[in-house]
Order: sequence, then structure tokens, then C-alpha cells
Amino acid sequence: LPDLREIADEDLMQMIRDGEVRAFDVIFDRHSGAAFSLAYRMCGRRAMAEDIVQEAFVSLWRSGARYDRGRGSVRSWVLSAVHNRAIDAFRRETVKSGRDVRDDNLAEWLAADDRTDREVERRDEARQVRTALEGLPGEQRQVIELAYFGGFTHTQIAEMLSLPAGTVKGRMRLALSKLRLTLADGGLVS
Amino acid sequence: MSGEEPMASTHDCGSDAAAYALGALEPAEAEQFRAHMDTCVVCRDEVMAFQQVADALPMAAPQQPVPRGLRRRVLGQVHEEARAASRAAPSRRRVLMPRPALAGGLAAALAVATAGVIALASGGSGTAARVIAASVGHAELRLADGHAELVVNKLPQPASGHIYEVWLQRGAAEPSPTKALFSVTSTGSGDVDVPGNLHGVSEVLVTEELAGGSPFPTTPPVIVTHLS
Repeated sequence: LPDLREIADEDLMQMIRDGEVRAFDVIFDRHSGAAFSLAYRMCGRRAMAEDIVQEAFVSLWRSGARYDRGRGSVRSWVLSAVHNRAIDAFRRETVKSGRDVRDDNLAEWLAADDRTDREVERRDEARQVRTALEGLPGEQRQVIELAYFGGFTHTQIAEMLSLPAGTVKGRMRLALSKLRLTLADGGLVS
Repeated sequence: MSGEEPMASTHDCGSDAAAYALGALEPAEAEQFRAHMDTCVVCRDEVMAFQQVADALPMAAPQQPVPRGLRRRVLGQVHEEARAASRAAPSRRRVLMPRPALAGGLAAALAVATAGVIALASGGSGTAARVIAASVGHAELRLADGHAELVVNKLPQPASGHIYEVWLQRGAAEPSPTKALFSVTSTGSGDVDVPGNLHGVSEVLVTEELAGGSPFPTTPPVIVTHLS
């Protein structure tokens, strides 16, 4: 049998469609770190983040046939699923005030230290995205953080910041436009 | 935007694209905007461009290692579903990897919950493992290769600002705290490595403590597992 870890995501998705569970294992190991990191960044609670990631990956297994490589990478597809589920969870539970990050000192982590070339590349890309975000004016970064990582709608953000909804949407547009230019310079977006 | 947009007057075409890509439109607005994009190539292109940026945003999140229990639960569930699908539709090719520690481990452990101390084969390596059912609470202590792991079930989520802490009891001495702090999923399951040397340990306990842990137990144990 070939070493599945050498196979590209898109080809693994085809294997998943054929019912190959080992291909799913590889996809999980490649992307679960980013998925859990996003979920935890969004909800700040480990148990909730784990539930969200579990739902997203099980859904990936069940609906692998719906993946369309023409519409983006597997990683983006997975992270989009996590993002959407986190937002759904927020809006279903309306527990934003209950979010906290005080359980981040738990002692049950895997000592995973993947140093493949692809991981090194991803760390570099992550650094570029963080730098680009930090380079935004504060009021623009704030609406991006609240919308994308906080899962708040533009009307909720407008209420929080006592701003007209149009101002919030305008800041979102300016922020994404600037980020796009910065990330395009680094080759992260086209 | 197109000059013939039927939805043009119902939303802010100029800035909805960014909010949409961020998932920040209200559900009804998002639905309306999706309909609008069917006919507005400008908004469609703008969303496509902004979506690339939004797709890159997760990389800005501080990277966290994947909790061990999460991997086990996800792969366990998927492998189980694969087996069930294989039985139901044998024509669909299913290649299953025997992974007792992942797919069947938790289920097997729970199945023997009332059996006390049980020896079983682990991972096909021939190494003997022991599973010890808790006498208080729903939990299993799994011992293998000098490593101990506590798998809990049906445990309520700790109160806000609290966490579960694992303790080692040696005879009549006060329980010793460990660095093992954990929470549980919404279904009440969780697992945690039990650190330290278990030599002379008579019981492994779990109490609910303030986040960050406590140097001594402040609440009655919700899990008690007797080793001897």
C-alpha cells in the first residue's frame, strides 16, 4: 500500500469518497490542528471547540462527495466548516458572555511537533497573516476580529460599538481590501 | 453593480460583500445577498476576492495542539461508521485498519465497565493492558506500558471557572495533586493522562476545582478508582 501521507489532500478526498478510512485519518492529522485552533480561538472553551471540530470532521467523512476541488483547498473547506459550525453554535446557544479562555493550561496535549516542509511553510504563512492583521488600523482590525473570530453579525457589532451599521460594514470592506493587498504581495491570495 | 439588479434597492451592494465573506450578515440578509449575487457579477467577483482573504484568517489564530481525546473520538466514530456502512453495503470498498486503541478502545473500555480489573490485548503488540472501572462515577483507568489514562463518561461539565483535577491517593495520606486538569465535552466524555509514578497509589480521584487547579481537594471526589 502507498504511504498515504505522501498523497495530496485532493486525492485523499477521492479515496474518502471511496470509503477509505485511512485517507480520512491522514486528512484529520493534517488539518485538525488548524481546525481546533480556529474553533478554540472563536469560542474560547475547550469542550465547545472539541465538539465543533468533531462535528465538522465527521460531517466531512459523511459528505466527502460534496467536496469540489475547483472551489478551493481541502484545508479551506475544513476550516470553513468549522467556522460555520462555530457561528451556528454561538447563535444557537447565545452564550457569548459565557465564553472564557481560562482552561488553556490543561495538561493533556499531544506532543505533536510536525516539522515537515509543508508545516514550516504554513507557519510562515500564518506569520504573514498575523502581521497583516496587526498592520490594520485598530478600528478595522476590531471589526474583523469581532466578525470572523467572534461570530458577531454587523448589526451586533454596530450595537456593541455604538456605530451605524453602515460604518461597520465600511470598515469591514476597507479591512479586507487592505488585507487582500498585503496578502497578495506575499502570494497568499491571488 | 449591474444596473438591472432587482435587489439593488434592498441592501447595500457596495459593502455587503465584505460582511458576507466574513459571515457577518444577518441570516436573512445573507440569503438576500446570495440571491443578489446570481445577477450581480460585481458583487460576485468581490465576494470571491474577499473570500480568499477570509479563508486565510484562520491562520492568524494561535496554534493549539490537538487534544488526544479529540483524535480518538473522531477517528473512533468515523471508523465505526465505516464498519457499519461496510456491513450495510458490502459492494462499497472499505479498508479498515484494526486500531483498538482508537476505534474500538473507548467502546471496549465502556463495555467492560462493571468488570473491575480486566486484562486485554492492546494495539496488537501483545502488551498487556489493564482497565480498571471506577467505583464512584463513570470512568475507566487504562494502564499500559507504564502509562495511565483516565477515560470519563457521563460527567457534567464543570461550572464556569472550574475544572476537573486528578489526584493520587497513597494509603491514608492526603491526596497528592497532579497537573492533570481536564474538562469534558457536552456529552460528558473526556480523557486525561495521569502523570507521575503510580507506585504505591491506592486510588486515583477526580474533584472539581477552580480553574488552574488546587493544592488540596476542596470538593468531594466525583470519580474514585481503586488500584489495589
